[in-house]
Amino acid sequence: MMRDFALIHLNGVRREIRGREALMMLAEWLRKEAGLSGTKIVCAEGDCGACTVLRSSCQPSAQPISQLSFEAMNSCIATVAQMDGTHIVTVEGMQCGDHLSPAQEAMRRCHASQCGYCTPGFVMAMSAMLERHDQADARTASNYLTGNLCRCTGYAPIIEAALTVRATETHSVARRYSDPQSIKDSVASTKLSMLVEYEGTKLFAPVSLREAVTFTSINPGTRVLGAATDIGVHVNKGKPLPTSLISLHLIPELYETKLTRSGVTFGSRVTLAEVRRVSEDVAPEFARFLNLFASPQIKNVATLVGNIANASPIGDTLPFLLIAGGEVHVASRQGAKGVVRKRKIPMTDLYVGYKKLSLEPGEIITHISFDRTGANDVMSLCKVTQRKDLDISAVSGAFSLTLKGRRGAGGKGKAAPNVVSARIAYGGVAATPVRMPEVELALCGELNQARIESVALLIAGSIKPISDVRGSASYRRVAAANLFRRFGNEVLHG
Amino acid sequence: MADQTRTPVPMSTLISDHGSPPHDSSITHVTGKSEYVDDRPMLKGELHCGLVYSPYAHARVVRLDTAPALKIPGVICAVTGKDVAHNMWGSIFQDQPIIAADEVHYVGEVVAVIGAETKEALAKGLAAIVVEWGKLPDIRTISQAITAKSFIGSMRTISTGDVQSALASAPHQISGTLEIGGADHFYLESQAVVVYPKEDGQFEVHSSTQHPTETQHVVAEACGLRYSDVVCIAKRLGGAFGGKESQASPIAAYAALIAKRSGRPARLALSKDDDMIITGKRNPFQIEYRCGFDGKGKILALDAMLHSDGGAYADLSTAIMERALLHCDNAYSIANMRVRGQVCRTNFHPHTAFRGFGGPKGVAMIESIIEDIARIVGRDALDVRLLNCYNQNQDITHYGQRVEGNHLPSLFASLEKRCEYRKRREGIIAWNADCTSGNNRFVRGLSLTAVKFGISFTTRFLNQGNALVNLHRDGTAQVSTGAVEMGQGVNSRIATIVAQQLGLPLACVRIMPTSTEKNANTSPTAASTGTDINGAAALNACESICSRLASLAIQLRSIPAELWASKTAGLGTMPEIIVDETVGPSGTSEHRVKFVGSNVTVTDPSGAVFTIALAQLIREAYRNRISVSDYGYYSTPNLGFNKVDGKGKAFLYFTQGVAASEVELDSDTGEVKVRRVDILMDLGRPVNHALDMGQVMGGFIQGMGWLTTENLVYDNNGKLISHSPSTYKIPNVQDTPRVFNADLIFNEDNTQNIRGSKASGEPPLLLSISVWTAIRDAVMSARKNSVAGESQLVPLAIPATAERVLRGLSPEAFVIWDKQDTNGSGA
Repeated sequence: MMRDFALIHLNGVRREIRGREALMMLAEWLRKEAGLSGTKIVCAEGDCGACTVLRSSCQPSAQPISQLSFEAMNSCIATVAQMDGTHIVTVEGMQCGDHLSPAQEAMRRCHASQCGYCTPGFVMAMSAMLERHDQADARTASNYLTGNLCRCTGYAPIIEAALTVRATETHSVARRYSDPQSIKDSVASTKLSMLVEYEGTKLFAPVSLREAVTFTSINPGTRVLGAATDIGVHVNKGKPLPTSLISLHLIPELYETKLTRSGVTFGSRVTLAEVRRVSEDVAPEFARFLNLFASPQIKNVATLVGNIANASPIGDTLPFLLIAGGEVHVASRQGAKGVVRKRKIPMTDLYVGYKKLSLEPGEIITHISFDRTGANDVMSLCKVTQRKDLDISAVSGAFSLTLKGRRGAGGKGKAAPNVVSARIAYGGVAATPVRMPEVELALCGELNQARIESVALLIAGSIKPISDVRGSASYRRVAAANLFRRFGNEVLHG
Repeated sequence: MADQTRTPVPMSTLISDHGSPPHDSSITHVTGKSEYVDDRPMLKGELHCGLVYSPYAHARVVRLDTAPALKIPGVICAVTGKDVAHNMWGSIFQDQPIIAADEVHYVGEVVAVIGAETKEALAKGLAAIVVEWGKLPDIRTISQAITAKSFIGSMRTISTGDVQSALASAPHQISGTLEIGGADHFYLESQAVVVYPKEDGQFEVHSSTQHPTETQHVVAEACGLRYSDVVCIAKRLGGAFGGKESQASPIAAYAALIAKRSGRPARLALSKDDDMIITGKRNPFQIEYRCGFDGKGKILALDAMLHSDGGAYADLSTAIMERALLHCDNAYSIANMRVRGQVCRTNFHPHTAFRGFGGPKGVAMIESIIEDIARIVGRDALDVRLLNCYNQNQDITHYGQRVEGNHLPSLFASLEKRCEYRKRREGIIAWNADCTSGNNRFVRGLSLTAVKFGISFTTRFLNQGNALVNLHRDGTAQVSTGAVEMGQGVNSRIATIVAQQLGLPLACVRIMPTSTEKNANTSPTAASTGTDINGAAALNACESICSRLASLAIQLRSIPAELWASKTAGLGTMPEIIVDETVGPSGTSEHRVKFVGSNVTVTDPSGAVFTIALAQLIREAYRNRISVSDYGYYSTPNLGFNKVDGKGKAFLYFTQGVAASEVELDSDTGEVKVRRVDILMDLGRPVNHALDMGQVMGGFIQGMGWLTTENLVYDNNGKLISHSPSTYKIPNVQDTPRVFNADLIFNEDNTQNIRGSKASGEPPLLLSISVWTAIRDAVMSARKNSVAGESQLVPLAIPATAERVLRGLSPEAFVIWDKQDTNGSGA
């Protein structure tokens, strides 16, 4: 049994979307096909939030769900087909009759809209906040709004709106749109594979890994559509959608998170938001770092595996995975019978060139695992950006030391810490993110000022950055060295 | 006259109320129902337009073949330069082809437009067009342009006193060069237009333009139509900031040409990438200056040469340069001054208006010079500012206009106290001393700068506006003006002015979409003058209507109500009431008339009051054949700036303000954090306090982006590569300072302007210069402490990107790598 449509609920109304419309970007479809032009498209690359809508999670599940839970996402860089099984609420779905929703009313009361073009996006981002927080403190508010750009207000009145708005039971999106029948309907549909096609482009969503690898082996060049935060951008910028696509959103096992004594394994459908939550315990520094990474709209849909597969030299999570024993789990079809063959590739062997992975044809990444941060390890993840939040790094660094001797003793007349082993990786300094074994070796031994200085210079000299829109090669060298100096001094001086 | 006798504004009159009515579109904004151009539903047969533009900064079009595109199903038509009826336009000089034919002068210059039924067909069509280019040598820096004498317009000079001898005799002299980068407007709504061909060769153009009149004219000329055949409508814009003043017009022409060729509706909605690549930016500037001053820091002479990068065509660059020259004094009286300006022609997109319009360049220069002077004479920069500030004895600008209504000294004094400037300065000195000893990697800086922004177009004839006011018989009003609503709230302000004049609730006044059929020969909504000019015109229209209604009300009071026209006009049994032309909107000296609370009252000499509902009075007027509509006209009085000798009254008044910014620099990375901002502005008597505060805080943050994170980067072909928000970083919510105080002083002295208000659109942007001077203060503090002996003046280009800041803080760290990487593998 197979479906030829994506099932979505749009502002509470059931829609089966097929063919051309299913392969359109959601924002474009909302505006031009569904007649809902309140959702705006500005950058078409997920960087401005003007297209923000709310989406219910769509995890295929055996357990009955009684209440949906909604999160913000950018509708400009995902196809309608990827919304399969979810409920979408747009700005048009926020009012209760003639009554403005709390976010709408707060934005109006605080004079937080001027030209109005970013306003629906802010309303939706703020509404997502109200789904989780009855009221917000300054940190929470700005975290929820960090993915939305405004050019008129300077944000002050928007922040005021976010700080003064209060959630109400009547306007809860989860409450209003959790209709039992539609939930049942959606859950039932996730048991059936989906195939949507239009003019030679096909998107397949299997319900099992076995079906998935069978498809990728007969359709060479198939691209896995995760959150499409990268493919979606390319399509919006004029490249055609790849002709063979697979979405793994109907495969339950890929939503798993497995914690062990030594580490953690995430399925390829686990979002960055979820990875961040789990990492708070497993790798606290990684969790902290993910706060600076992307907007809530992106983190709610994008996956860690997506970040890995995209293979950008400045992918923010990659230096961490390189120093944290990261391994990708891949699957492919073995033989014509469709046996699933699995293997693991260490992160350090994954990247073989600019945006090139050491995957064999037909292989798809199913999981990523990495180690717990050890009790004697000191880890620091940092990035250098032009703008503090939601900016692509010029340089990012990941440092981890296993120490003997007390950290922070160097300046206080006690024994200096001794580095037993070191792991150092950088992004933005070469065609791929890099581990730096020779630097790691040079760092072992007693940690002192002279060693920090010599290692910093070694780093600056051994990386091979380029000059581009985010900074000159020299700047990257100096900043890369300074990031290490800072880390070294923190370890030394506490 | 100057306000020499004014007492300073007491603190207690500071406005604190937030009871202003919200923006008139606030409900439709938050519900997503506000309609922008590209939200208009597609009509059957409507075409999507796409542009073919140059990938080179300067090239010959060797071959251009659109035929392959036309073979693709769904592609309907194509137009090129030879299809344009009058292929030349320009707001000041007509020097720019609408569609380039033989030669292109910048990356993004359009050579062909195609129209297609679907976006898919459009993409295929664009890819199928064949163009062969012959690359030509290009000019991509101001220095190259100066060497090649590639200029737009002639050099302008404004001078006063004897600069050369004052410089020669000054106890101290500094000289320097300031590099100022451009900035993208980054209005959220990219340029968009929909053109509907109507019957008998007429065109209805819905454009995101700040200048509907110019768009109407450019469309008509491009299509070979008469102006009367084209109506241009601008309902609302999703931001503009100057970027849609001149540059919306050719965009509209592209769609109009496709509509004309195909006879179908045509739509062109640029992607953000195309918008950023094609359209011009804030003009980059390069300023060389020499300044002489005494041991206390009093400026004795300033000689400055400003070069701007105008891009490939004139656009508005010469007017922008003029305003830059007129703002080189800013808040400071300089007895001997010569400022010269020359626009350079380069191979970039034609640079254009952007909030501040050149003013920020002059102000950045003088505020930066003052920071330098302070370091050399060993005083706090604020003391040097106070010493040089315009005052009652020194109030003549270098262009000869007297600084009337000067609130600058009291604004400085007030903010100094409110933001605890002196105390915080001490704290920062102590903090930085600790920092340079290695205990802290964060360096801090503080700076308090001013703005004195001249309000009026410096081109006199632009200072005019007109408005149409229609009253309806249910007591409501519709108002149409030439003002374009782009978020600034001009519609709300005009509605407030009209409602107050008519004594109606705000809800009874609607501002209608701006359209050239109702308001022709209008000026762009620009130069912060939208409310000043159009609000005054609307007020004039209201006063004419009110005069007639006042005359009618005075006469009605002596006629029994049962004989009024509403009861009798159908029968014609009563004579018509004739308007007494001598009655004004407030009645006569005997009969005082008031429009208040939806009523009109007539008070006679005995004190007896006659009251009639305005709606009823309007109905009586209609039945007496008295017009309840009017067309108002306004021209700004007493302007007299002579562009040839650079002297005269350029501005009706000055909007003034001060701001203090505190920043923190990460000495490892050069990243900047703005810790605290305090703003105090004089906006006279605001029409809408909340909207003005929105302009103040929004303008400040927008300027902060230009000065810090917004970096325009071009590749070796002259193509902008930071053309989307992933690479071009405007401030986001986390960049708004944690402490961000803004306030207004209240004063009634700006009587020459509408309702005693002052324009608020551009001036606050210039206050963000305090962020940049604070960064420079921090950099120089760090350097001063690390190098023994004399203070160092560290130049800091705009924008002060993290890289530039880090280079300023630790130039020595870059030396080896700069050498290696430029000699090396082409990094």
